[in-house]
Amino acid sequence: MLKILKDKLSTLLNVEKHIAPLVVLRITFGAMMFISILRFVAKGWVRDFYIDPQFHFTFYGFDWIKPLGELGMYALFFLMAIASLFIMLGFFYRLSIVSFFLSFSYVELIDKTYYLNHYYLISIIAFLLMLVPAHRYFSVAVARKPSLKLTHVPSWTITIFKFQFVLVYFFAGLSKLTSDWLFDAMPLKIWLPTNAHLPLIGPLMDKEWLAYVFSWFGMLFDLSIGFLLLNASTRRVAYFLVIIFHLCTGIFFKIGMFPYIMILMTLIFFSEKFHIALIRMGNNFFSRFNRFDKTQTETPVFYRIHPLKVKVLTLVLGVFFLLQLAIPFRYLLYPGKLYWTEEGYRFSWRVMLMEKGGIAFFYVKDTMSGRTYEVINSDFLSATQERMMTTQPDMMLQYAHFLKSEYAKKGLENMAVTVESFVTLNGSGSRPFIDKNIDLAKEKEGFSHNTWVLPFKTNLDQ
Amino acid sequence: MNSSMTIKKLYPLGFIILFFFIIACKDKKKDTPKADFDRKEMLANMGNNMIIPAYQNFRLAALNLDSAIAVFNLNPDATKLLFVQNSFKDAYLEWQACSAFEFGPAEQAYLKMSLNTFPANTTKINDGITSGFYNLNALANLDMKGLPGLDFLLFGIGKDNSEILAKYVSDGDATNRRKYLVDLSADIKIKITNVLNSWLPTGGNYINTFVNSPGTDIGSAIGLFTNQFIHDLEILKNYKLGIPLGKQSGGVLYPEKVEAYYSGISLELATINLQTLERIYLGKDKLNDGQGYDDYLIHLGAQYNGNSLNDAIKAQFSTAISKLQAVPNPLSASIVNNRIVPENAYKEIQKLVILLKTDMCSSMGILITFVDNDGD
Repeated sequence: MLKILKDKLSTLLNVEKHIAPLVVLRITFGAMMFISILRFVAKGWVRDFYIDPQFHFTFYGFDWIKPLGELGMYALFFLMAIASLFIMLGFFYRLSIVSFFLSFSYVELIDKTYYLNHYYLISIIAFLLMLVPAHRYFSVAVARKPSLKLTHVPSWTITIFKFQFVLVYFFAGLSKLTSDWLFDAMPLKIWLPTNAHLPLIGPLMDKEWLAYVFSWFGMLFDLSIGFLLLNASTRRVAYFLVIIFHLCTGIFFKIGMFPYIMILMTLIFFSEKFHIALIRMGNNFFSRFNRFDKTQTETPVFYRIHPLKVKVLTLVLGVFFLLQLAIPFRYLLYPGKLYWTEEGYRFSWRVMLMEKGGIAFFYVKDTMSGRTYEVINSDFLSATQERMMTTQPDMMLQYAHFLKSEYAKKGLENMAVTVESFVTLNGSGSRPFIDKNIDLAKEKEGFSHNTWVLPFKTNLDQ
Repeated sequence: MNSSMTIKKLYPLGFIILFFFIIACKDKKKDTPKADFDRKEMLANMGNNMIIPAYQNFRLAALNLDSAIAVFNLNPDATKLLFVQNSFKDAYLEWQACSAFEFGPAEQAYLKMSLNTFPANTTKINDGITSGFYNLNALANLDMKGLPGLDFLLFGIGKDNSEILAKYVSDGDATNRRKYLVDLSADIKIKITNVLNSWLPTGGNYINTFVNSPGTDIGSAIGLFTNQFIHDLEILKNYKLGIPLGKQSGGVLYPEKVEAYYSGISLELATINLQTLERIYLGKDKLNDGQGYDDYLIHLGAQYNGNSLNDAIKAQFSTAISKLQAVPNPLSASIVNNRIVPENAYKEIQKLVILLKTDMCSSMGILITFVDNDGD
């Protein structure tokens, strides 16, 4: 029985498909990354995020990842921009996609202040693109060396991307199955009215029922869209919904390039015919410059992979997707309200679920003399870092350790670091967040439950 | 086959019924009708009735001070010194009504830093006067000018007015000192005139940009305004009270670091500062009560522990102001002799910061940073 299933899956994943969808994905990904990198640099974020701050909130286990200084950071972004262009063109592809993946992930790992699920997704797509021969058709590489050309690839090379997108949407949908989202329409009830100035739809934004409509529609969309895109008969409607949904979120919320990236990436769900037609359009355009093959008929060339490589790939992808399936559920291992403690919150496709605001007064205290030093956070952190830190316990812990070492540098050794902090979550009103008697400098960073986070109390509890 | 088809068709219907059921339940609970509110109207009220008048008043006071100094310098005597000192106090008080608006033209001109970086560096000022060489436009020299610089020059260079007067008449540096006085005053006059002009419809017309920027992200008027509104309160807490009270220095007091240490009007300034922030919150100028954050929060139905957030904030403003008014003059002496009283004011202001920075901002969905986000 298991054997049959395994064989069936194996056939399904290895059936020969035209390479076109992979090529379109490569080109759109490269192009969108190129634009995104330029936008990031133009907004001055390289300096604001990675050069100016004196302290960075590293990810647990990745504190060896440091910003590279002004020259180094700009060089890294220049490298990413060039790599994106080369990915798009299919030129030194393997080198480009590997260096893009490594440098992009490196930058994301410098400081969790800037963590976005969008960036995580981009790292993942880049990772998967390293494993497939997306450059071996309609590319500069093939134009230079026609023997590289492939027309067909095993279908897993395309399926892995579809599977990844289905996971993203579905987990995003699952995370909306909360009473905050469905029964209180939070945080949309807070966020939608901020758009009351928009023409035409503005006046509607203040209406409470609209927040419910959006919440429920969002939940249903996320849960079902992956499957609707997989199904040939619903695909066109589904893609239309994808466009509407992402454009709406793009208008209502400050989410940068993400909506446009998703709209283009989800083209992968369309049939190979569609992608072949797209490429033909591109080909006709470029053939005017006589650089590309003008023939409309092509002899099939199949992708040959060494059996050992197949084994390695199967293992890598198997482990990868198992992790993808498991990581979003790790929050179940922690007690308490997820939105409050945020233990197991990141890397789980939880987007737009919380309106969280906080404030934190840190005290560095000499326990012997009782002398207390209140910290002015802006002396050490950027406004963005401070804002993210005040609502996320793991960052507060890192900051406490940093403060301890900073004050030790001034000759104030062996100080206790405590924090008096207040957080409001989805309109709950501000309430105490961290146990103010705990010396955070003595607490260890790690994956265990942070016992010093006070339990979330609703108004009913008080 | 047929029955499974029917069930499938019923799914969406079930969702729709559940959905309307929830909304129906919600609406019954809602008993506070939403007041009409228009962010644009609030911005217009802030710009036309609070910001521009505050700049105009301060500019007039700065002009008076400037001409009082010009008259004094021609022929310094005790009466004229007293007149300059009073004009200075008037100007410093008027400045407190402007300090919360450090965005747009004011931010570009470094208005707050140029006019009110305290404590003044008296060594640098004295060296500048003796040598006659100083560059007031350098960012490194913010602490040798502005109102704190004048505070020192008019009140801090002698133990009484006759000693101070002597520094402008018979002292070896008297000529240079008179010139320094004029230079500081001129710098203030030029800065505020430029900023005011940038706001006025007859000048840079920033008022128009301000009123017609109705979004809520950081680049929007409400984002910039709110950010600076809260920042000004944090400066009051940390720099006007906290640092002198030894909050950042393990209890080592720095009474000489208070605002307006030499003239001793720190508490009057702090009180006007806090009362201005309250008026901004309420959208209330001297004549009428326009749209402010209070109306916005009522409109949103914002709650604090089951009650109105607006009521909580208003009550906290009153408490903080009364605790501040309870501190005996001058602040620098109270910090040394009667620390518990300014400590109490500090605590109440801290509570106010919490309410504004978390509850108010979160209720309005105001972003206080420039970055992209996905809401986590």
